[in-house]
Amino acid sequence: MKILFINNSGGGFADYLDVNDQTTVAQFFKDKMLGEQPEDYLIRVNRQPVPRDYVLQANDRVTITPTKIEGAA
Amino acid sequence: MNDKELVRVAGTIESALRQLRKSRYMRCAAQLSLFAGTMRNLIGDSRKLAVAMSRDWFAAAEHSCKAVSRQLGEIPFLASNIQSLLDRRHREMPTLSAIAADLWALQQEFDEVDFNGEDNTLCAVTEAISLEDIYLGPFRIALHLDTLHELYQKVPYFVIAVDPHPAATDDAVTHPHVSHDVVCEGDGAAAIRTALETGRLVDFFTMVRSILTTYNPDSPYVSLADWEGVPCYECGYVMDSENSYSCTYCENAVCDECSAVCVTCGEIVCKSCAGTCEICESSLCPQCAKKKCSECESVCCGSCLDDGLCPDCKEERDNHEEETEDNQDATTDQEGSVLGGRLADGGQRAYGSYATLQPHGVGQAPVFPGPVGQ
Repeated sequence: MKILFINNSGGGFADYLDVNDQTTVAQFFKDKMLGEQPEDYLIRVNRQPVPRDYVLQANDRVTITPTKIEGAA
Repeated sequence: MNDKELVRVAGTIESALRQLRKSRYMRCAAQLSLFAGTMRNLIGDSRKLAVAMSRDWFAAAEHSCKAVSRQLGEIPFLASNIQSLLDRRHREMPTLSAIAADLWALQQEFDEVDFNGEDNTLCAVTEAISLEDIYLGPFRIALHLDTLHELYQKVPYFVIAVDPHPAATDDAVTHPHVSHDVVCEGDGAAAIRTALETGRLVDFFTMVRSILTTYNPDSPYVSLADWEGVPCYECGYVMDSENSYSCTYCENAVCDECSAVCVTCGEIVCKSCAGTCEICESSLCPQCAKKKCSECESVCCGSCLDDGLCPDCKEERDNHEEETEDNQDATTDQEGSVLGGRLADGGQRAYGSYATLQPHGVGQAPVFPGPVGQ
């Protein structure tokens, strides 16, 4: 099934992705954000916070935003 | 914001995003126009080269070649610019309902969200922020919708300290990465730009908040270590550690005005520790200030001491020595040889140096001025 994935790390682009049925948010994060910790990100589905075992649905909008972004001078 | 206001604000945002989209196409058009102009110049120079060669005008041909070379140098940059703009021209425009949903989600994400209709500014206020135990207070992130279409020329949002606790050395720095209400986006620049282009307001505000809640010690306007500044021990002026000096003797931090360099050994001293040469008034460290004139005991720097004496005492000694020499010379002459034989009746002896006996001729001696033995 297709979902919209917005990754606000780096360039912040949005892509439609195919994911397996019954994929949870936690599994999706683990697949797409290799080596990263969920605690370091705001994870929203359809603009809402969801539990880690939430099962993704077709056309869901998943946004992952880092909570730590280094500014500069 | 209630639902009605929310929809109205969403409409304003949609309009601003449409302006932004238009500006993207206009930038493409402007760059294409520049590129086309360069191509026209190339064609013109090419024709001139052909004419020059048909008439064997080598100087003119060289001139044309130089012009062509110049034009060719600009083409890669122009082409790259246009390609970059074309790649970014298409950004999915959010629907009115998507924008309204974002506004609704924004109110869930931030405790305080408001819209100022007078200047068309959408604001979200963060919670109070502390970094490394330094309280900075809450910040208002204000997105100016009227300038959103100028996203590529200027920053359309400001970050304003609600309860400012700026750096001690610079009032304009209210956060290590905020100066004059503008945040330096650092690693977040590209993602923030993309979020604004596509109208993802929640993503925009949460990313700016992520910058405010993260300290990058490698690149702040003012580091947190210097946030509260260092007060000068002498005058109390608050300075940052880079502009402070440490007295070599008492180790207190002093500012540039209250520090001095010992003219003899070069050590940095504070005003309290510094001594002064009583002759030239240069600063001296406590160690070098122990040097004194052996006569009058004035504190002197190395340059002013000569044979352990200050200039005045040295001059006095020199004068005294001269007088002593003069007196010695005079005494010696008074006891000099008798000119021409024994003096009768104890007459006065002649003064002056020894007469040269018969220097110029037999029986003759030089005559010196002065009283002569009687």
